[in-house]
Amino acid sequence: MSEIKRKETKGREGLVYDPTQDCKLVGAVRALSGVKDSITIVHARPGCHCGVLLLRALGSNQNDIRIVSSGFRAQDMVYGAEGRLAASIRLSYKNFKPSLIANLNCSAPAIMGDDVEGVIHAMKEEVPAEIFSLSTGGYEGPAWVGYEETLAELTRYMIPGEKENDKVNLIGFKQDDIRSSADLSEIERMLNGQGITINAILTNSSFEEIKNAPKASLNIVLGGDGLESAKIMQEKFDMPYVITSYPFGLNNSIDFLESVTRGLNKEVNQEFIAAEKDRIKERIERIFLFLQGIYDMSVAVVGDSARAFELAKFLSDELCLNVKVLAVTSRNLISDDKNSDSETLLIEPDRFEMNEVIKTEGVEMIFASSMEKKLAWELGVPLFRIFYPVLDEVSVSDAPYAGFKGTIHLTERIINSVINNYIEL
Amino acid sequence: MMYGEQTVEIGSESGNGDVRNEGFLRPLISAYSTLPLHGMTAIPGKISGALMVVDSIEDAVPLIHGPIGCAFQRKINPFRPYLPFYETPCTDMNDVDVVYGGEDKLSLGIRETYEKYHPNLIVVITTCPSDLIGDDFKAVVEEIKAKGDVGCDVVYTTGDFVGKTKPVGYQDALFAITDQVLCNGIKREEIERNEESVNIVSFPIHGAGLKVAEMVSVLNEMGIKINKICFDHTTVKDLYDLPKAELTITDYPMAWARLMKERFGVDHYEILAWNRYKETRNPELFSPYGFEGSARVFMEIAQRFGKEAEAEEVIERRKKDATERLSKVKKGLEDKEVAIMGGIHGIGMTLLRDVGIKASVIIYKTQALESRLTSEAINEMLDINVELARKYGSDPEVVVNPTIEEELKAIKETGTDLVISMGATAHKYNKEGIRTFNPMNFMLRHQRIGFEAPIELAMQLKEALKKPRKRNPLLSMLEYDPYRTNLIPEWAALADMFGTLRQGAVGDKDRYDSMYTI
Repeated sequence: MSEIKRKETKGREGLVYDPTQDCKLVGAVRALSGVKDSITIVHARPGCHCGVLLLRALGSNQNDIRIVSSGFRAQDMVYGAEGRLAASIRLSYKNFKPSLIANLNCSAPAIMGDDVEGVIHAMKEEVPAEIFSLSTGGYEGPAWVGYEETLAELTRYMIPGEKENDKVNLIGFKQDDIRSSADLSEIERMLNGQGITINAILTNSSFEEIKNAPKASLNIVLGGDGLESAKIMQEKFDMPYVITSYPFGLNNSIDFLESVTRGLNKEVNQEFIAAEKDRIKERIERIFLFLQGIYDMSVAVVGDSARAFELAKFLSDELCLNVKVLAVTSRNLISDDKNSDSETLLIEPDRFEMNEVIKTEGVEMIFASSMEKKLAWELGVPLFRIFYPVLDEVSVSDAPYAGFKGTIHLTERIINSVINNYIEL
Repeated sequence: MMYGEQTVEIGSESGNGDVRNEGFLRPLISAYSTLPLHGMTAIPGKISGALMVVDSIEDAVPLIHGPIGCAFQRKINPFRPYLPFYETPCTDMNDVDVVYGGEDKLSLGIRETYEKYHPNLIVVITTCPSDLIGDDFKAVVEEIKAKGDVGCDVVYTTGDFVGKTKPVGYQDALFAITDQVLCNGIKREEIERNEESVNIVSFPIHGAGLKVAEMVSVLNEMGIKINKICFDHTTVKDLYDLPKAELTITDYPMAWARLMKERFGVDHYEILAWNRYKETRNPELFSPYGFEGSARVFMEIAQRFGKEAEAEEVIERRKKDATERLSKVKKGLEDKEVAIMGGIHGIGMTLLRDVGIKASVIIYKTQALESRLTSEAINEMLDINVELARKYGSDPEVVVNPTIEEELKAIKETGTDLVISMGATAHKYNKEGIRTFNPMNFMLRHQRIGFEAPIELAMQLKEALKKPRKRNPLLSMLEYDPYRTNLIPEWAALADMFGTLRQGAVGDKDRYDSMYTI
């Protein structure tokens, strides 16, 4: 860990907050979107529904939205919207035949006191799907809390089963992160290379698969997200867990495999790792001049706790870039235990203050989300979109950012982001 | 398709945009234009509309009085998904505030916002939590102003000032600025008038009359001065100058313009005037483009200043000059026929008439409208289209809610040369060997009040007729809903659900008022 100028900003300085993170609703939506046969009802005024629909439509697969509104209207603020919610549940089932319908109760109905549980109780007799509701009022907390609570809620439906050797669950995987599908394929390939298979993914599985998550012999908690659900599963199903790095880069990937195999009391397949290292070496050799050229380039990393630390480590430790600023936009339960490979560490900063810091640090590239586009434009530096939300870049190819293969793709894209630029001198 | 598709910003008083953006702006806007929002699957909330206003005032900053989600999620701009609202500070309302009230936080937040951003205007935008717990926004703002705690103007917008006038957030924020700042403490007689001048106030939401350079030029020739053009790098100082004009021209009825007439006597004129349509049932009022539409608009504005004679001369001269040039450009278009999509949006029938093209088919799809308009209004919209087409010499076949097969049959049987179709459905016609014209570029850049637009349209249509045929679009591989032919089945189901759930929402279904704002 670099200790050059570590400066922690644990909280922002004032009251006014231009947030770098979303509210509980979005955390819950992200978790539920990965339950492949679920429907999420946003029980809220139109703005919340429109917001999450846009996040989904712009930031993930456009043929897999599964987010509906309860049709909450202005006059419902007086008379309640329980009837609307019941209709929405009914229509959700009629149109999509989901296994799970999750209602997210947002600020307006939560404050008004809609009897949501009563509606769900009544609808369970009519609709042959599991239905549950979560309180996701915006004032109740940030997105990561909503994410944790949703995964914890899903554990309630899990059924004990006989454990299968060398089967693992992935926890903390988000299928709306950029390159997530390719990342998952790579993670699965890496695990398979160790003789390990994936049982269920929280979340990128069907509801039935999630219910059968206890059949695995180990939970892998990626970057610490979803830790609460892993703890519950440990208690309820005697299922151990390991917290691993998100496998950005060569060494995080090796660490990942070592943690998992250790958790399963297996030997690491060193041959597999050696072959991957050889492949990376061969590719790096092809571009070594450029890699030498960008050595020590100053960058900022702005992203969530589960992945930003690991990306910063890869950039700093392996590509040998100079991570001037690491801004952790949202915490998780282990954020405080993580080490930073950056000169300046900001935790959940105010966007205005964060931008000011980045502007003064002489940053030459930013690794962040679409929300940092203006900042990158103002600084005249490339923006590498790698953290949620990415709303202005699509990813349908099979080129991961994670794992051994991801090491090559990340390196390739970083170099191209620099040398693609047009300048006039 | 996108909620309230808009034109490019007018950029400067002369109406020229930033040329550095020319290359990618159209495809960038177009890439997001097929998002099926627009009341079809979702409705943006009031915060987004209010943020559009604040974002358009260069020295204004919003302060969202609510939790972080109301600030972070609203960064995604449903009106312009390619251009987020990057600055959305909030008061970070939490559960304690919901119980004990957020007034102290708001008060402190306004002060901090001023110290941090140094704006000339802070617009407090309230949210569901702060609205529901009954925070007294007015008292907080007035106290701050009275104490002189901040060196800028402060207003608050709740969405409640303008009833159901749509888009609510946008209308309400402009009303709040007019009411709480422009009209606050200033007497009508104290205003130094800019005689015989107009404000041209449009907003980057709708395509009506936003490209104003030609309008400015024509009005000037008629002896009418321009007081202010908004929103074009507009500052708070510019807003203070608005009451100096004699007339405010807007693209459609605005509550704030009515208030300014009430308080300051500044009259208003709407380019799309459904209020007048209600009285006259004259479909031309929905057709302000082309030679005749533009001439009518210019003459109506001139009448407000008693400048009919000057206007007549200018209009005739401009029209004559443009007609002569158009007659050369439109050669080869005379015998061409196009299929058009019915509705208020799109290329106006008057423009098609000007370029000498006839409408062979009108394809009218009502599914997306049914949750927003009464059936009478839907039928009336179709009648307007058909009546105008017939008036201008076309005898179109009308197909209502057709399947794609029915559409293609009508198009082929009528020998249609070109389908005017947005990108979302163009591939269906192209696959059958039928050329299409995507009107987006024309609507964004060229369709305007003035006499040059028909010439530009003629040129673009001729280009479209010469384009190589596209017979193998990848988009044709997908399965689409038989009626909502731009949508795959999942989105069609989302749209159907949304429409059903919104049915009966008070204020959603207007006979006319929603016609243009949907």
